[in-house]
Amino acid sequence: MAAKTQGPAVGYTTESTRTLLRVVILCFIAAAAISSRLFSVIRFESIIHEFDPWFNFRATKYLVANGFHKFWDWFDDRTWHPLGRVTGGTLYPGLMVTSGAIYHALRTLTIPVDIRNICVLLAPACSGLTAFATYLLTNEMTTSPSAGLLAAVFMGIAPGYISRSVAGSYDNEAIAIFLLVFTFYLWIKALKLGSMLWGALCALFYGYMVASWGGYAFITCLLPVHALVLIAMGRYSTRLYVSYTTWYALGTLASMQIPFVGFLPIKTSEHMPALGIFGFIQLIGFIQYVRSAISGRQFQTFLVTILVATFGLGLLGLVALTSLGYVAPWSGRFYSLWDTGYAKIHIPIIASVSEHQPTAWPSFFFDLNFLIWLFPAGVYLCFQDLKDEHVFVVVYALFGSYFAGVMVRLMLTLTPVVCVAAAMAASQILDTYLSWKSATPVEEQEAPKKVKGGLRGSDKPNVGIYSNLTKVMVSGSMLVYLLMFVSHCTWVTSNAYSSPSVVLASRMPDGSQHIIDDYREAYQWLRQNTKEDAKVMSWWDYGYQIGGMADRPTLVDNNTWNNTHIATVGKAMSSREEVSYPIMRQHEVDYVLVVFGALLGYSGDDINKFLWMVRIAEGIWPDEVKERDFFTPQGEYRVDEGATETMKNSLMYKMSYYNYASLFPAGQAADRVRGVRIPDQGPVLNTLEEAFTSENWIIRIYKVKDLDNIGRDHANAAAFERGQKKKKPTKKRGARVLRVD
Amino acid sequence: MRILSSIAPLLLLIGGSLAKKAQTDAYEEFNKLAQRSSPIKLNDATYASLTTAPRNHSVAVLLTALETRFGCQLCQEFQPEWDLLGKSWTKGDKTGESRLIFGTLDFADGRETFISLGLQTAPVLMLFNPTVGPHAATSPEPSRYDFTAGPPAAEQVHSWLSRQLPNRPHPAVKRPINWLRWASTITLVLGVGTALVSASSYVLPIIQNRNIWASVSLIAILLFTSGHMFNHIRKVPYIVGDGKGGVSYIAGGFQSQLGLETQIVAAICKTNFFYAILFRKLMHCVIDGILSFCAITLAVKVPRMADSKTQQVAVVVWSITLFLVYSFLLSVFRVKNGGYPFSLPPFM
Repeated sequence: MAAKTQGPAVGYTTESTRTLLRVVILCFIAAAAISSRLFSVIRFESIIHEFDPWFNFRATKYLVANGFHKFWDWFDDRTWHPLGRVTGGTLYPGLMVTSGAIYHALRTLTIPVDIRNICVLLAPACSGLTAFATYLLTNEMTTSPSAGLLAAVFMGIAPGYISRSVAGSYDNEAIAIFLLVFTFYLWIKALKLGSMLWGALCALFYGYMVASWGGYAFITCLLPVHALVLIAMGRYSTRLYVSYTTWYALGTLASMQIPFVGFLPIKTSEHMPALGIFGFIQLIGFIQYVRSAISGRQFQTFLVTILVATFGLGLLGLVALTSLGYVAPWSGRFYSLWDTGYAKIHIPIIASVSEHQPTAWPSFFFDLNFLIWLFPAGVYLCFQDLKDEHVFVVVYALFGSYFAGVMVRLMLTLTPVVCVAAAMAASQILDTYLSWKSATPVEEQEAPKKVKGGLRGSDKPNVGIYSNLTKVMVSGSMLVYLLMFVSHCTWVTSNAYSSPSVVLASRMPDGSQHIIDDYREAYQWLRQNTKEDAKVMSWWDYGYQIGGMADRPTLVDNNTWNNTHIATVGKAMSSREEVSYPIMRQHEVDYVLVVFGALLGYSGDDINKFLWMVRIAEGIWPDEVKERDFFTPQGEYRVDEGATETMKNSLMYKMSYYNYASLFPAGQAADRVRGVRIPDQGPVLNTLEEAFTSENWIIRIYKVKDLDNIGRDHANAAAFERGQKKKKPTKKRGARVLRVD
Repeated sequence: MRILSSIAPLLLLIGGSLAKKAQTDAYEEFNKLAQRSSPIKLNDATYASLTTAPRNHSVAVLLTALETRFGCQLCQEFQPEWDLLGKSWTKGDKTGESRLIFGTLDFADGRETFISLGLQTAPVLMLFNPTVGPHAATSPEPSRYDFTAGPPAAEQVHSWLSRQLPNRPHPAVKRPINWLRWASTITLVLGVGTALVSASSYVLPIIQNRNIWASVSLIAILLFTSGHMFNHIRKVPYIVGDGKGGVSYIAGGFQSQLGLETQIVAAICKTNFFYAILFRKLMHCVIDGILSFCAITLAVKVPRMADSKTQQVAVVVWSITLFLVYSFLLSVFRVKNGGYPFSLPPFM
């Protein structure tokens, strides 16, 4: 800060020193951002995390092995058996293409590197770039030299972003957040300069974003809203016209190149704001031109009326087209953001995902710490000299926080603006209180002229701080908050966001770490002991992992494109064996996989997810599967002695608790997740046989029995095997005849 | 058609048994009633005659308790939907092809029936399938609609009925156009529009006032980022009992929160009911708001104070407030998240 006061004579050296310092600081920030994401690699190993990344990893391997054109036309017959999936046309290829490009680039430089390591480390690498993009974006907002750097630090280590970008979390969001922030930076730059070049760059990165993540719709909606707000504020300018038109025309063309997006930008409602504002801005441009050519007050009023009327008519037309079915209405996922009760009633598959739940306050504090209260302060600062780019921050802040409040997952899109706004507030405070220059009282006569429309309180001149004591006090407490923020972020990252969830860690009594590796154990078993094309049925959560790690065909996976197919699996899981067996036969299922946490106390198991299977199945077969039947008359969901008959007879219950009681001494069998005692007499399975159970019983795999050799039904055959006598001998037996065939 | 329908019972009279005649009469009789007003309001006697065992029509009966003294909210809420369903079904099926009669039996009129069925709760929706005729069901027992998911819309009950009555026409639910609402909406929009235009000289300064926009956006942001949407969507209770007769204000656990989440606030506000209500819902929002306000004051207001003494006092007051409230916030967070290691004095 002291450098600012020095004379112009030393300006050159200080300027270059400062640039050097900035580069060094940014490098440090990038290093901090990357290294804080490496917890999981250091604690466990270089491994792909969770569920979706396993698909992305599999797709990347396919891309690297078969080349781009084959990847583009990839029809995957090993998922969604027997339907298959047009994978090349139903994914966002940006992520895979990026890592494929990095892989080939490194190969050309003769650096031998495993594609897996590229995939694992892509997200941390991008986080460094995101920090830099945030620095650029913030510098557009304020003149303070420190705000950009603060924003970059915040962005680099804020848990809200780390949650989706630790090493191994090879998901679309890994590169998408960088693209999001950078696109916004380019948009602001284009808007400020009214430059077609920057607008085209913005469209280019927007296209890249569309290729990478479904969240691109956030940009598609935010930029037109920003433009509309500017127009409504009477700030239409040729800069706005040029930048918006360039972005929209080129960006839409770019986005339509992605097969998965295709013609959606002109067909669906979530893209309509962008199209509508595009038309509107043409109209305004035309009217502005006419207005400059012709004068006359009445004519202008007339034009304004036309403008408003056209806008209203356009809106009405959109509503009419939607109701007539020409424009697709809001798709379920988007619609549920507005009508928050919608998903719960109509699309249980969306409501069942924990990421789609509304956000409670602790999650906000957990992910953003003290930024959560600096953020509104920063937004307030934006109102001080409300330039076009500040309007953008305000609009982004409002929409971002609404979406983040409705869906936990969208915390990710809120985090960049929180970092930008909070950095503006923090740097304002630090700039004010860290300046050694003592305040000089201003004379009364140079009282400021009232600026019309300014913020109350900010029209007085900024005199600075008088007392050094207060400076120390405020800067000291800010320092405490910043230090706490850093330790909070490290703590959160290390404790909450660095678990691969494929490998679980627990502590032994002596404090040493014990790794629970049941998932990989089971998938490895599948890979080594089953036929190449053995179909595995499991709940959709595990589809990608089975495809990625065990390399076996699955019925359903995390790409939930076909609700009916998922409901079929749900029905098979929640029905009696007699009902499930034909379903499994029809789908050529060879193995069934369930996740069962009762022995270990692992709460994310299938029994806890079971009600969602029931609900989703009930949505399709309301007469055959009823959620009510899984609750006791008292309305409890029980798995112990008091479980309902439907529950006890369901395939899922049987597979989970089969033989479980035999692990314990009589009368001691306990379920450590639900915290209840399990009856000693376990369920009987007739149509399946246990094939594999992992070390801690987390994964259990069953083989579907073939039809009985001599045509008995499975219940009879199994009873015979157990040595039980037939209870009812066949009642009617016709006269004995000689076999003639 | 008319001739045929009048001849039909005659033919049956001649050809059929006495019992059959009684039934045909029952259906015809009730169908006539239903044409006038459906669902038919039943009492013990009519309920019995409508549902006696050999029947060649289906009956959907809603057993309900509408009187306010029973306090059955579900009954009250479902009644209009039920009436709508009965009306539109009967209207859409004038010829009586589906042979379905809608009836409502209120507890006030049908005490005996309630007792004989052993009903403890209301509403109960039962569908009696025909026991004779082309659509005869195997079991004479009525099927029951499941009300556990709250008051259903007419369409939901309609789809349930349609599943129970296959191979018959299912006239769709027709919601009457609410002319009054349309008219009032249009009038209101036009009225407000006119008022805005004519009062534009007064309204415009308000719309263009930056302070108002700033405060509205800040309040909205604070509401959204303090979990208000969570309260709104989940309809969380304000407080829950802790199982020991006391009341717990802060929900433990992470993806949970209560509308009211503070002991302190409750203690302060016990005397002041209004503030208590306001605080209960908005506790996190208010705390975040106070912190933001402190930050804004320190960043914007204080450096503009011309007097050195006032400024010093302001800085001390606001930064201490900021510190204390932040410390309190951390302590609230520790209640939620047991293992959280960081805290600031004095709320350690």
